[in-house]
This record gives sequence, structure tokens and C-alpha cells, in this order.
Amino acid sequence: MTAAITRRLALRSALLASAVVPLLPRLAHAAPSVGSPAPGFELPDQDGAIHRLADFRGRIMVLEWTNHECPYVRKHYGSGNMQALQAEATGSGIVWLSMASSPEGMQGHVTGTEARELTASRGARPTAVLLDPQSQASRAYAATTTPEMFIIGPDGTLLYMGGIDSIRSTRPADIAKAEPYFRNAMLDVLAGRPVAKAVTQPYGCAVKYAPSA
Amino acid sequence: MPWRHAPLAYLAGLLAILSAPPALAQESAPFTSPQTTVTVVSEAQAIAPGQPFRLGLRQRIASGWHTYWSNPGDAGEPPQLTLGLPEGAKAGELVFPAPERIPYGPLVNFGYENEVVFPISVTPPATLVPGQTFSVKADGYWLVCAEICIPEEASFTLDLPIEATPRLSPDTAPMFAAAEAALPRPSPWPATAGFAGEAGALQLAGDTFSPASVEEAFFFPAEWGVVENAAPQELTVGPGTLTLSLARAKGELPERLDGVIAITDQAGSRSTYTVSAPLGPVPAAASPALGLWQAALFALAGGLLLNLMPCVFPILAMKAVGIAGLSGAERRTIRGHAVSYTGGVVLSFLALGGLLLALKAGGMVAGWGFQFTSPIFVAAMSWLMLAVGLNLSGVYAVGGPASSGSGLAAKGGHAGSFATGALAVLVATPCTAPFMAAAIGAAFAMPPAATLAVFLAMGIGMALPYALLALFPHLARLLPRPGSWMERLKQFLAFPMYGAAIWLVWVLTMQTGADGVLLALGGGLLIAFAAWAIGAAQAGSGRTGLLAKAAAGLAVLGALALLPQLQGATAAPRIPVAGAAEPWSAARVSELQAKGQPVFVNMTAAWCITCKVNERIALDTDAVQAAFRAGNVALLEGDWTNGDPAISALLKSQGREGVPLYLLYSASGGTPTVLPQILTENIVLQAIEATTRTAARVPGQRSS
Repeated sequence: MTAAITRRLALRSALLASAVVPLLPRLAHAAPSVGSPAPGFELPDQDGAIHRLADFRGRIMVLEWTNHECPYVRKHYGSGNMQALQAEATGSGIVWLSMASSPEGMQGHVTGTEARELTASRGARPTAVLLDPQSQASRAYAATTTPEMFIIGPDGTLLYMGGIDSIRSTRPADIAKAEPYFRNAMLDVLAGRPVAKAVTQPYGCAVKYAPSA
Repeated sequence: MPWRHAPLAYLAGLLAILSAPPALAQESAPFTSPQTTVTVVSEAQAIAPGQPFRLGLRQRIASGWHTYWSNPGDAGEPPQLTLGLPEGAKAGELVFPAPERIPYGPLVNFGYENEVVFPISVTPPATLVPGQTFSVKADGYWLVCAEICIPEEASFTLDLPIEATPRLSPDTAPMFAAAEAALPRPSPWPATAGFAGEAGALQLAGDTFSPASVEEAFFFPAEWGVVENAAPQELTVGPGTLTLSLARAKGELPERLDGVIAITDQAGSRSTYTVSAPLGPVPAAASPALGLWQAALFALAGGLLLNLMPCVFPILAMKAVGIAGLSGAERRTIRGHAVSYTGGVVLSFLALGGLLLALKAGGMVAGWGFQFTSPIFVAAMSWLMLAVGLNLSGVYAVGGPASSGSGLAAKGGHAGSFATGALAVLVATPCTAPFMAAAIGAAFAMPPAATLAVFLAMGIGMALPYALLALFPHLARLLPRPGSWMERLKQFLAFPMYGAAIWLVWVLTMQTGADGVLLALGGGLLIAFAAWAIGAAQAGSGRTGLLAKAAAGLAVLGALALLPQLQGATAAPRIPVAGAAEPWSAARVSELQAKGQPVFVNMTAAWCITCKVNERIALDTDAVQAAFRAGNVALLEGDWTNGDPAISALLKSQGREGVPLYLLYSASGGTPTVLPQILTENIVLQAIEATTRTAARVPGQRSS
């Protein structure tokens, strides 16, 4: 009982804090951490529209780091697992942003047109595909692998970071056998529960980074 | 093949089978891609019922590509191998050699480049029948990455003949030896680790660690999420401890910090150890790496504190006599003496620093107080202390009667003060005051000019109390008026000098044993006799004086003649390393080989951590020593601690720049087997077995 009250108090102070935090200077490469405000970004989507983290305040958000040529990403798109998760999330009012993180000239780099074509051909259901060829969001989130998943609460607090599931492999057959870390976390957030496993090990190809300016 | 040739071909085939097994029957057909060539290999050419053997997943990796360790780091995936074995056979787990750090942008992965063999042990059932075949099926799956990643999988088959006794394959055994050498060994050092917030550290404790012995170290965490893979790990090596700073990652904290630490020693060889450290408070680094100014400040403080250390005490006694003599003297005289003394101290420190640098540049390893490793120096110093003591006791006088001087260092003039300073430094060096270890450690990691600057600071620190006298000569006025107390003080201060002589003789017992002590004390007797004779000459005159002086001269010469013999007595019993090894020489090797004895050569050095660990883990063990005895293997040891041209030549001939080097000569002669620089018991035992087996065979028979 007291724990619940404490949590509610913490949530309230987090809400208060989140109103102030955007005004404060943020450390350039501070690693994100669960329970803290999620790092901000400002990136174009497949149609050139600019999106900021703050634009989605009040809604649950999912960030999915992706590189469509990575075998681990292909495992989840080829099997339809990722599309199913996207449909489930957006159907529940969640904002799903696929972060196309590869810089120009590297595997997984896409233009807006290519991103639209990929979404159509794969039957993907993200809210938008954000293009991050300068690794702005990758650095802010210290993203390591594709795929890698983040869930952000309506107040802008980071609630989950980590893998999509528990079996590190490129074999689609493993998806059914794995513990679905990300989906469990998403269901926890939707139900208003604290996330049971809020930090898990992501697996996949290394995120491709643009040389730092 | 044309049919009519069949019988001939059959015969040829039969011969081929009889004379040699089919080429690499112990390696499966390869999987090949532009990135990798992968096979399953067996260390055994033939296996035996119930006898465990090892298979290996062998990856040859194209340049620019890599595969992964059990913890792949920021991305990637470790390889998998699933064995399909005949019924009743058991397989162990795939074992991972120690990885390399593979940076990729801001990320860091842990894995392998070029070539790697992952061993896996297999125990066939005891019910196997010799003459039949043991068929292995293996499904491999691995990820290979450059900038992009490609998952690969393949099935391998390997048929191994079953015989009554197992036979190791000469083709694949070196692969397994190399794989085994690449496996991390259990760390012989107690480890502790801790995190506070984002920062943490891992510390190993062991007397083999010193700033000069460890070049580089890196900790590979066994699990994801504990340590930030890409964060730099700052290495601090103090005497007896090695500390790596670690940055906390975002995963949960386990109860213990598990992983592999790779240590590159001064000789440039990397060795790896498994570490499991209980988590507690953050271990503090022993001596933080110091900047030049900090090191100089520490050196200054250390030098100052050196004045309070027991080694310098007898010299201070001499100086006290000197200062007492200055009571009532003119300012100019006081200043002159203080400046000379300070000069003596500072210049001696610089000379010492320069000498150490020169020795280091010459490839020698010399540490602080290195001159005390020479028994001749120690004996001569003990005699000097005795002589000074006898002078203070009034047995003989040096210089004019007016001088309240002190032996050699008190010719009354400035030369005497300078000599006192030099003597103080020479004797003070085995003592280390607080702050000094850190300063000296830092000094030798710096460029030569900075090293000398630190030594300069140390000299100034030590001379500081007397330098103050030079700056403020009126301080000497605080001394009591000259009087008979000066003579009393002088006589009293002889006793610290005798004490110092006793201490030096005790040092000598460590170095030379009983014979050395006899020589030192005999020499002391001659010195005392000479002192008495000089005193008699000074008291007498004419013929008596001349005779006494001649006797004193003879006695001193006699004492000096004893010194070289001390070097001979140096063969002090030292702690046996690698059993009872004889000293190495090329001649001794051929001599033993001529006698038909196999020879094991261990090239080692006191400062080589890898050598010491190998000796502890793989050479000094009961099993290995027993195998040496059973195989009648002669053990020779070469000590490269202070360099040795013959050993250096041997190292060069084996393409090595430094130690360790392990050679095993078979009794039948020929070139030796070179063992890896990283030893395990198993590697040594197998090498001994292979060598002695070859030796036991009739010449001409095929050896394996």
C-alpha cells in the first residue's frame, strides 16, 4: 500500500520534473536510463515532416531501431512478428517510430521514398519512419543494435529499453520459443503497471554510426 | 579410373592407407564463404572406447571480418555447435578462447579475427569396438560481421576410427595447443570489485604486479549489462595491485563480477585469466598515476621524509656532528657547508637517476636501490660505516685536529660536506619514504628529462633542512655554544654507525650466506686494525708512524682483496623455480642430449609476470614435475632478469624478443619443440608425453 503511494508520489514528481527538464541544458552523450526523461530528438520522417519527442507528449511511444538489411531485423519482419507488434501497438493508440539509423553509404540507409516503399512492401504499420543518417538519435539513446526497442511513457519518461525478445539468433523459428521482452513491457505500460523487466539485453547487428562531427 | 588398372589402384590405395591415414581425416569437409572457412576438427586421429577427446569448431576468418565471444559485446552473437553423436557418447560445452576488443564506431565488440578454434570435449562410450568408426555429425551456426553481419550455418561430418588406444593427430594437435593457450586460465590473484553509481573498479592483488611489469590490461565482462563495453578502462598498477576502472552499464548488477582479464606484461606478451570478484566497495587504486608536477611534489615530500628513515640515520649522525661544529662559526662558513652538502645530495640523486635511465635504456632492469643487489657494494658500505664509527670513537682522526669532522666526509672543507651528501644518498636508497614509491613509479613512465626532474626534486627534498641553513645561516646561532658537549656527542654518534654496519652485514647474509658474512667480518677486522694503526701513526712519529702507516695500508689492501671473493659467494640458494633446474647453457643442452636425455629449457626473468604465472600454474605442479622425472627430462633454466647475450641470441634464433621461451628437446636430438608462451599443465604434459614417446621408439618407426 505504502509502496503504491510512494510510486504515485514519485510519478507526480517525475511529471513535475519533466515540465522543467526540457528547459535545462542536457549532457550531450549522457546514456539514457529507465525512469529518467527520454532524450529528445528532432528528425524528418519518410515524407519530410519534422518530428520532435515533445510532439508526442501525452501518448505512449515506441522507438524501434532498424536496418532493413540486417539479418536480425529480417528475422522479425520476415516472420511478420514486427508488423504484428506494430499493429497491436498502434491499434492501442501507441505512437510507433521506426528509426532508420544507418548513415548514407552504409547498409540499411534509406531515403524517404525507400522508406515508404519498404513500409508498403513489408506491410509494416509504424506511425512514421524517422530518418537519422547523422546518428543524432542513435547517440542520444546510445543505441547499440538493430533491432533495439525503447518505450516512453506519456510524460516523456523512459520506461523500457532493450531487446525485442530473449533468444539471440537470426532464426525466425526461435521467436515463438523466446520470452517476448518488448511485448510484455508494452502490455505492462498499456495496463498502467510498472514494467517488470525494464532493461533487457538487445541483440542484433551493430548500429551504424555516422562519424562524429 | 580405367577398370583394367583397378587392381593396381587398389594396391596403391591399400599402401597409402597402410603407410599414412588419408589427408586430414581428423578435419571435416569445410564450409566456405567469402567471409569464412569453417570446419570441425578432432585432436584425435583415432579414438578409443571411453577415452575423452576434443573436437573443435575451427573458423578461419577473412581479413576485416570477425566472429564473437560468449559475450559478444555491444552487438553480435556467439557461435553455436550442436553435436549429433553415436549413442552413449557425451559432449561438453563449447569453450571460448579469450577474445579481442573490436571497436566499431562508438561501440565495442568482443570476438575473434583471423583464426579461432572453439574446443568441445567428447566422451565416447566404453562399449565402442576397436576397428569400427565413430561418426560425428555437427550443426554449426555463427554470425560473422564486418560492417555488415552475415549469419552462416553448416552441417559437418567427421568419421574417426576406433582403436584400442587413442592417437593424437600431428596435424591438428598444434591447433588444439594454440586453442588451449588462448583459453583464459583461472586467475591466481584474489580479486575484488565494486561500483558506486556510474563508476567502479576491479582490483587484483598479487606480488607479481609492479608499475614496471604491466604494460596494458583490459577486462572483458562475462555478462551483458554490467560494464560499459566501450568505456575506457584506466589501468593503475601499484606495488602488489592491479586496478582497472570500470564504467557501469545499464543492466542489473549481479552478485559477482565475472569475466576475463587480459594482461600484457612488459615483455609484450598477453595472458588472460578468468576472474570472479565479489562485489563490495569500490577498490581504491594503489597509487594514482601522477603528473609531472604532482610527482615532483611527492618526490620533494618523500625526499624530506627520507631524513627520518632508518637507513639515513647514521649519515644524519655524521651531519649532526658537522652542524654541531658549525655552532659559533661565521655565517659564510655555515652557508658554504650547507650549499656543499645540498650540492652533494642533489647531484648524487641526479647521477643515480641518470644511471638508472642508462641501465634501463641498455635493456637492463634496475630498480630503486639497485646498488644494494651487489654484495661487494654492501660489504664495502659496511666497512665504510665501521671506519666512520671508529673515527667518531676517536680511534683515529681525519684532517686537522681543529676539525670536528666525521671520517671521510669531514675533511673540514666543502669537499667533506659534499661527500657527506653523496654518502647520504648512496645509503638512503634502499629506504623508501611515504610518497616516494608513487613518485618514482611515475618518474620512470615519463620521458628522461622529466624523470631527472623528479629525482632532482627528491634530492632537494632530502637536502631541504640543510638548504634552509644556507638560506638562513643565523639559524645556526640557535645551537648551543661550542664546548666539550661536542666531543661527547661525536663519540655517542659512533654507535649509530656501528649499528649501520651490523645492518649491512645482515643484508649480506641474505645475499651470500655464511661465507659472505665471514669475508665481510674478516674485512671489518682488517679495517679496524688499519684504523688503529693509523691512530697509532698519528699519535707517534718517525719510524713508528711509518711502520703503522704501512701496516694500515696492508690491512686495507687485504680487506679490498677479499671483495672479489664475495662475488663468488653470491651463489645464494634461491627459491627453486620449476623444480630443481640447472642453469642453462647451450653446451649443457648438447651434453645432455648426447647422453640421450630429453631437455626442457625455461627462459625466465624475475620481472616477467607471464613467466611467474606459467611456473606457478603449469611447471611447478606435482603432475608436471612427476612427468619430468618419469620422462627423465633434464630441466635447464635461463635467467634473463639482467639480460644475457647468450640467452638473447637463443631468443632471437626462435624469433622472440623476450621471455618467456620454453623449449623441449627430444633425446634423439634435432630441433626443439617450442611451447606456447602461455602454458597450462595439459600443454606441458602433452608435450612431455609426445617427446618421450618419440624418444622411446625405435628409429625409423613413424612418430606422431
